[in-house]
Amino acid sequence: MPTNIIMPALELAQESGKVVHWLKRPGDAVQKGEPIVEIETDKVTVEIEAPASGVLRDVTAREGDVVPVGQTIAVILAVGEVGAGASAPAVMPAANAAATGAVPTPPVAVNASAGAVKASPLARKIAEQHGVDLARVTTASGRIEKADVLAYVESQKAPSAGDGRAGRLVAASPKARRLAAERGLDISALRGSGPGGAVLTVDVSAAGRPAAAAPAAAQSVRPVGAPGVGTVWRIMAERMTTSWTTAPHFYLVREVNVSRLVSWLDKARKQTGAHITYTDLLVKLVAAALLQHPRVNASWKDGTILQNADINVGLAVAIDDGLVVPVIHRADTLRLAEIAARREDVVSRAQAGKLRPADIQGGGFTISNLGMYGVDAFSAIVNPPQAAILAVGRIADRVVALNGQPAVQPTMVLTLSCDHRALDGARGAQFLGALAELIEEPLALLV
Amino acid sequence: MSERELTYGEAVKEAIAEEMRRDPRVFLIGEDVAEAGHPFKTLVGLVQEFGTQRIIDTPISEPGYAGIGVGAAMTGMRPIVDVMFGDFITLTMDQMVNQAAKAHYMSGGKIKVPIVFRTTLGATRRSAAQHSQSLHAWVSHVPGLKVALPSGPYEAKGLMKTAIRDDSPVVIFEDKMMYRVKGPVPAEDYTIPFGVAEVKRAGTDVTIVATSSMVTVALGAAKMLEEIGISAEVIDPRTTWPLDKQRLIESAKKTSRAIVVDEGYERYGTTAEIASVIAEGAFYHLDAPVKRIGAMDVPVPFSPVLEDLTVPTEKSVFEAAKTLCRKA
Repeated sequence: MPTNIIMPALELAQESGKVVHWLKRPGDAVQKGEPIVEIETDKVTVEIEAPASGVLRDVTAREGDVVPVGQTIAVILAVGEVGAGASAPAVMPAANAAATGAVPTPPVAVNASAGAVKASPLARKIAEQHGVDLARVTTASGRIEKADVLAYVESQKAPSAGDGRAGRLVAASPKARRLAAERGLDISALRGSGPGGAVLTVDVSAAGRPAAAAPAAAQSVRPVGAPGVGTVWRIMAERMTTSWTTAPHFYLVREVNVSRLVSWLDKARKQTGAHITYTDLLVKLVAAALLQHPRVNASWKDGTILQNADINVGLAVAIDDGLVVPVIHRADTLRLAEIAARREDVVSRAQAGKLRPADIQGGGFTISNLGMYGVDAFSAIVNPPQAAILAVGRIADRVVALNGQPAVQPTMVLTLSCDHRALDGARGAQFLGALAELIEEPLALLV
Repeated sequence: MSERELTYGEAVKEAIAEEMRRDPRVFLIGEDVAEAGHPFKTLVGLVQEFGTQRIIDTPISEPGYAGIGVGAAMTGMRPIVDVMFGDFITLTMDQMVNQAAKAHYMSGGKIKVPIVFRTTLGATRRSAAQHSQSLHAWVSHVPGLKVALPSGPYEAKGLMKTAIRDDSPVVIFEDKMMYRVKGPVPAEDYTIPFGVAEVKRAGTDVTIVATSSMVTVALGAAKMLEEIGISAEVIDPRTTWPLDKQRLIESAKKTSRAIVVDEGYERYGTTAEIASVIAEGAFYHLDAPVKRIGAMDVPVPFSPVLEDLTVPTEKSVFEAAKTLCRKA
């Protein structure tokens, strides 16, 4: 049986994905597990692996096309198999997304705020009756209700039913639907130019006409973002606007002596032989400070403060397209060399545009370091839904008053930006104080 | 047809005068209708011709004289009950809805109530919230009543004559902003049948169903649409009941898109009824949802600036049609 390659749902709220680049051409032989296409979502670009071995056929999504989640973008035919034509209908976002193997299974321990499956009691009961793992049911709202579970159950049945036609009703105007039926066209195979991709009469007419007109129509379909702005930049713009306009910010600034930090870095590099950076040290120290002050590792959501179960520290990384924040999960449990290795891995993959959804999920606190650009101090915008972000300036020798005398010390200015809905000044200050003490005396980590 | 022109107000008066000459059972009753010639000056001269026995001034007492009218109709007269502002039908509802509309049915057909309630609709006269409403949807809802909405002088005369001759109770809403609008009105006797919509302008891309003064608005929008290459068909149902469903549906089937424009409040309004008639009848021919444009759902403001914002305009109809035709 042909295996459909569908636009996967890589994120909870994802509605569509963009085909960036086909790594294989129609007619190419593919091996199961081999990357065949690059898909860009709102947050990341991922390689989708072949769900089966065979020959790639019926590639319906061109590079640059934005395709609704769940839609078939190509099929893989087993050797000797004959294709059903380009109109293989699209169904089952959740189930097939998992089947492509592109979605990492959810980590066992995840953030309380991000990972817990929200489902109605009735949905849970029905899921139990059908033996459905709720973690595999995705919904646009993130909340699972009865209908979602039943739809999932249906979608699981569909493939064996033969044509897989159940599931999604293609959006189309009544007239377009009637005309398509009259002309024997499969409306699910048509590209809609109406609101939300709905198929209109004009689309049916275009499909009825041979070749020439079709590509032109295809080009006009929903561009991702404005010209010149990539998805990453657009998402950054949206998220920062959300944060700036909904989270009341306040800032706590503290200059810390980094003499010990400087000597610790030297020692750590020698001991581990790894390329450890100040950022790595800060990740370690921030994780320790968060352990002492869990209130900072939290989110304001729907009128309540959600405490994160794990200490996951995000790092703001500038890439060509904008800003991404890969996460070092459970940083409090990692040794310095492990943090450095993880940091090196995610930063290099971020720059290559190869982050996976799991890399950027679950962050509870963010560090943004502009020290390497010579910035003395700056105020960052909180990375929603997190409660705080730490802006780190450069290390420089500065004159400070010491026992009534001017003295020169290497210092660094830390600015903690806080969401006042989740944190108040005192709690923020206590956390910043604990962090400052750890930076000034890293040995405190040992006790 | 004669090229003679009359104002909307003159057309109404001519219809009433001709019918009163033709049929001695016809009389008119209401406030300020005799010597004053009606506050909108639509009845000037009638009392001189027909006398105070047939053009009857009443105290401010809508429920009372509406009841007199219903009783007179039941006993063989053909009264025209004049309710100055459409807003005041709140006071005559029992007479209209529970008496006039029901008597024929409840008497097993023995009683006829050939009465005309003549009243007004329309905003932008700076008359504030209690004198600016368009409440024709209320009576259109009630079986037993017929409802006419003349959209110009020709319709004002023809529909009034049909209303007076009809053996059922009829509520006729004149747009108070149109009384000075001029148009060709034949001098000879003519009537306009109820339940027959008129295509005011033929088109192929979008159907605009408009009532009363909104027909003029729709025609203006159609002209604007023509300039950007959209061909709009404008249809005037002329009566909201009986409603010429077939003609509306056929037009929507032809164009695949429909907009309904009416000056009543949008919610639960005339636009909703007509839109659903089209959606049901033309569903498999529609390429877009049926669009409704009614008056804003607010008590009509006195402030001219605000009041003007509450009613559909050529521009708003033009924009809606443009969106519907996907010409952004």
